[in-house]
Amino acid sequence: MNSSANAIDMSENMPLNSKMPTVLIADDDVPNRLLLQAILEKQGYHVLQADDGVQAVDVFAREHPDLVLMDIKMPNMDGYEATRRIKAMSTDAFVPVIFLTATSDSEGLARCVASGGDDFFTKPYNRILLQARIGALLRIRELYNTVQYQRNELENHQKRFDREKQLAKRLFVNIIETGSLDLPYVQSMLSPMSLFSGDILLAAPKPSGGLHVLLGDFTGHGLAAAIGVLPVSSVFYGMTTKGYSIAEIVTEINTKLKMILPTDMFLAACVIDLNPGSHTLSVWNGGIPPVVIYGEKEQKIIRSLPPHHLPLGIASDESFSRRVEMTEIRQDDRIYIHSDGITEATNPDGLMFGRQRLENIFVKNSNSSELFGEISHELIKFQAGGAQQDDMTMIELRYNQQQLEDTVFHDKAQQIKRAEQLSSEWDFSMGLSADLLGCFDPLPLLIQSVCDMQGFRGQRQQLYTVFSELFTNALDHGILNLDSTLKGTADGFAKYYMEREARLLNLADGSIKIYVAHRPNAEGGLLTIRVEDTGSGFDYQENQISLESNVGHSGRGIQLLNTICEKIEYMGNGNIVEATYRWH
Amino acid sequence: MPVTSEVSADGNTITIKISGRFDFAGQNEFRDCYYNTSPGEKTQFIVNMSGANYMDSSALGMLLMMREYLGGNAANISIVNCSPDIKNILTVANFQSLFTMD
Repeated sequence: MNSSANAIDMSENMPLNSKMPTVLIADDDVPNRLLLQAILEKQGYHVLQADDGVQAVDVFAREHPDLVLMDIKMPNMDGYEATRRIKAMSTDAFVPVIFLTATSDSEGLARCVASGGDDFFTKPYNRILLQARIGALLRIRELYNTVQYQRNELENHQKRFDREKQLAKRLFVNIIETGSLDLPYVQSMLSPMSLFSGDILLAAPKPSGGLHVLLGDFTGHGLAAAIGVLPVSSVFYGMTTKGYSIAEIVTEINTKLKMILPTDMFLAACVIDLNPGSHTLSVWNGGIPPVVIYGEKEQKIIRSLPPHHLPLGIASDESFSRRVEMTEIRQDDRIYIHSDGITEATNPDGLMFGRQRLENIFVKNSNSSELFGEISHELIKFQAGGAQQDDMTMIELRYNQQQLEDTVFHDKAQQIKRAEQLSSEWDFSMGLSADLLGCFDPLPLLIQSVCDMQGFRGQRQQLYTVFSELFTNALDHGILNLDSTLKGTADGFAKYYMEREARLLNLADGSIKIYVAHRPNAEGGLLTIRVEDTGSGFDYQENQISLESNVGHSGRGIQLLNTICEKIEYMGNGNIVEATYRWH
Repeated sequence: MPVTSEVSADGNTITIKISGRFDFAGQNEFRDCYYNTSPGEKTQFIVNMSGANYMDSSALGMLLMMREYLGGNAANISIVNCSPDIKNILTVANFQSLFTMD
């Protein structure tokens, strides 16, 4: 690096006078003063005069001379006292005071120095020597001022930098923590190695119940890595709230990061979807160490989901893989996700914590509720105060169906805004043909439109469930002819979703029509949702009993709808269903 | 992080050898190994990791830069002789889908 480019520019903003320095002469002896004045003015100095110590202090306070020549014996106030006061007044700058003395006895000279004098000069004056001493002291003053100025500048820069860093940190934290990790079934640790973390941990409840979690690790750490966090969190929270799937979310984040990040930067990320309705865990893992599932019943690791994808921000849209791995999850099973900062944590000898040590903790543990604490404890013990090399992030999720279903997104601002809207009358319909059904999920769009037209005061989640159940039933059973009894066994469960994916991909026939109407009433309104598919339907009269007892054709979904909606009615040959939802 | 490069006798293969820690500290030397070459279409690049004992995510980034500079999908880059630790870092990031690995 070129060092001159880095030096502080002294030509501008310097407080030093470019004009000749001003010298104050304090002496009650007039001829003496005039002689000095003549010598100094000949040198080009600007000269001020004072008759005694009191006047010297006054003139000094008013005119801020650069140097003072001070006689010792003066009326009213002697030179010692005047010097003390002048020095007390100029703590920020160095103002040299030279004593003018007739004697050179050591006691008198010691007093000069004790009162703050910087030099002394014995009468009679040697013109050349006097000029040399004044010149030397003024050079010291200039040096002192330069150092002082640079120190202040540095201090100001430091303060400004600290303030901006704090501000950015606050902004950063606000954006990251829009969602909530403060859930009874979640434990997490985020240990950044600097003020800003290149690791991120985001969690957001889905409108249909359940939770999305994103654990990410940017290349590098500190501010540069943290900048990428902002677009990621806004896409993650925004799309989760609107009901998009994790496959759609990772696709969007990848597109965005690919566009904004330089080639050598990327985000290793693992995004999961915990779905309490179907007891499933869906995982998209790109570059994060394997996701571990610890079985509560088995008391050991029962599954490990390795990263199947490139980190986000590397692949182009065409080559990006959004394939999600889906697995069954049971009550109280625990899910662990961590960044490589955990396994690569080093001790003072440079040894890494490693996968094996981590897995040993799972093996040795005897109480699963203490697992998380034990891992962080072992980690800290291992590091033994050594310097942290990378951001370390880990999360544990305990699968609890009830708690997950109860997790709701609290968006107060939105609720208040919606509450002010009046109930109004509207309707719309939407038709989806086979080729669209294969690649497009209309639910986020539907729910967004409905909530935009009518606030529904925080009932978005319930509405999402209604739309989602009705549409999924029509698609899965009406169009795809899937058999939900398959889902009864663990094996069949995975088979069901594989089959679903395969049939969707090859779908050639069929369509779904969705009609939504809203009619206001005194308390709120009545929302009607009718979904019609081109499938063969089913004998709903026969199935009425089994529907109510929560078995058979449509399973758990319909029972859930009955608790939310005022009425669920089948029509035609069972291929039309109409739900009535009352709100107030 | 010492980096050396070597061109084969027929000029078709350029081998870049990494020793010690493969991280950001050696990024200029690493880049020079492929910047300074004028590779033909058939030129194969080999990144030899036999001497490397560690790599971090910035090194992954450096490999991506190299790949892009050499034509993205058209680039012919092999990563060879990885220690188990380094292999693990590369496979967690699924770099086997971008580079030829042994």
